[in-house]
Amino acid sequence: MPDTHPPASSAAGNPATAAGDPAGVIETRALTKVYPGKTPVTALDSLTVSVAPGVTGLVGANGAGKSTLIKILLGLIPPTKGQAQVLGHDTTAEGERIRTLLGYMPEHDCLPPDVTATELVTHLGRMSGLPPTVAKERAAESLRHVGLHEERYRLIGTYSTGMKQRVKLAQALVGDPRLLLLDEPTNGLDPAGRNAMLELIARIGSEFGISIVVASHLLGEIERICDHLVAIEAGRLLRADSITSFTQASEVLAVEVEEGLAQLAEELARHGLAATLRQRTLLVPLDGDETYDTVRDCVATLKLPLSRLEQRRHQVEELFRDENEGAVNA
Amino acid sequence: MPEQAAGVIHDLGYRSYDGPRLGRAQIVRALTLHSFRSAWGIGRGVKAKIVPILAFIVMCLPGFVNAFAVNRGNARLFGYDVYTPQLRVLVVTIFLAAQAPELVSRDLRSRVLPLYFSRPLRRGDYPLAKYIALTAALLILIEIPLLILYVGTIASAKNSHGVWEETRALIPGLGLGVLWAVLMAAIALVLASFTGRRAYATGIVAITCFLLWTLSELLINAEGGLTATTTAARIVGVFSPFTVIDGVRIWLGGTNQGLDPTNLGHFGPLYGVVAVVMLAASLGGLAARYRKASQA
Repeated sequence: MPDTHPPASSAAGNPATAAGDPAGVIETRALTKVYPGKTPVTALDSLTVSVAPGVTGLVGANGAGKSTLIKILLGLIPPTKGQAQVLGHDTTAEGERIRTLLGYMPEHDCLPPDVTATELVTHLGRMSGLPPTVAKERAAESLRHVGLHEERYRLIGTYSTGMKQRVKLAQALVGDPRLLLLDEPTNGLDPAGRNAMLELIARIGSEFGISIVVASHLLGEIERICDHLVAIEAGRLLRADSITSFTQASEVLAVEVEEGLAQLAEELARHGLAATLRQRTLLVPLDGDETYDTVRDCVATLKLPLSRLEQRRHQVEELFRDENEGAVNA
Repeated sequence: MPEQAAGVIHDLGYRSYDGPRLGRAQIVRALTLHSFRSAWGIGRGVKAKIVPILAFIVMCLPGFVNAFAVNRGNARLFGYDVYTPQLRVLVVTIFLAAQAPELVSRDLRSRVLPLYFSRPLRRGDYPLAKYIALTAALLILIEIPLLILYVGTIASAKNSHGVWEETRALIPGLGLGVLWAVLMAAIALVLASFTGRRAYATGIVAITCFLLWTLSELLINAEGGLTATTTAARIVGVFSPFTVIDGVRIWLGGTNQGLDPTNLGHFGPLYGVVAVVMLAASLGGLAARYRKASQA
């Protein structure tokens, strides 16, 4: 392997910036994918993005083009226009080479129920090009890294969803990849399982020194573990930036009152809070605990029936809609 | 953050791997071997071994019966080019109906294919490995009984001339066995790869093989049986892969009574063409099936 692991520390604070950065693990230039048909579907539309080493979140609503991008990066489908490079290799010409350097965890169920985790991961290690004994060793290690111990000798069909997700992650790790592509890794997990999975991914990124791209439609979830975020919508790049600049904009309080929304908005404005009305909810930028107090006081002053006051978990499309309107982000 | 869930992850440090990696050809070979083993139920549970092993034993029985008979002074019981024609159709159909889904439908059912396609394989490599594996499994099923027939016969041969005669008769039989394996593996795989539901896949393979064969047999009988010399009787064999293979055998000079009328008239080459078309269509269908699967 000529490639070396990028030291994890160098990744921190290195924003996913303009194309042409030679250190980028993924570089796309005007990447376009149109699925032909009676009504052609544009899945990716002139997407130019550069992903730096480290943990990067790829966020977008369902259908934003995340899966299409992943398939192109894996070299499985050719782009209609433009080009993409993964770890310095062109996806169209060097798909095989790229796939020796990549680990991929699909979104959906992909595990046969009637084999043990050890058998499956060993076999898939062989399919990644590992010699037989190495495949066995690395399968055992990968399964241990994801937290499967004696259970690994059980049939996968007897596993919980959380354990299955771990096996999917282990099979992506077994070939010692330089880059992991994880597609919705917390799919189907309960809150505790989600946390454990996210922590595991963060550990792999920081301690194993493997670059990771995590695709998700839940910004609130992956923002905790990412160094950078790439947001796409309808196949276009919305924004690529470091996580800090993203989250500053995403902290809002959602306030719902059963009546007097307009009054409340005025009152809040008087206290210096620029609230945005979204359907029947007021979104107030959150600057700390004082914001809660101000909102409480305003509601109390107007004697309005408060029905909801919560910190919003932003879905990315909402975040950008807000930003375009320029109301929430002062 | 829940302590419990995080706590189960051992901190033993990650080790990267800088040793040699196998090339694509070696990966395909590994997948072929893995699939060949599953075709015989090796590395799977006891239940997975029942059908292939039983099929193999049943297929070998006539060979042992022959050895016994020859030892008692009889002539060899079956021709190497036909063996026991109906039994072979039956056993090969059952073997394929059980094992072709084992090779392809399981992976479709559990949607494991993306895990293969995200590895350093090309999209044709997966079906190629499966095809080679099933062909090899069929070769074992078909050729070993022929070798038993051969060994059982020459064990009682009186002189080296007898051995030579047997060997000369055996070789075309082995060649036809290759045709059986190559063609039937392709047909069974493409049929099984249409569905991830194993029971359906088994049904599709079994029904296609049996129905087409029964159809051919019925039509031949309607035309007057294996001794008929009507044009219709001579060409109805093209409907079923088994009778197509038998037609090729007769075209190439086989004289033993098999599945088709032994006198095909001018229609021998037709069987050759149909065999090639069936093989090409099956392999083309298989490639197309997995080209689609690799992009889904």
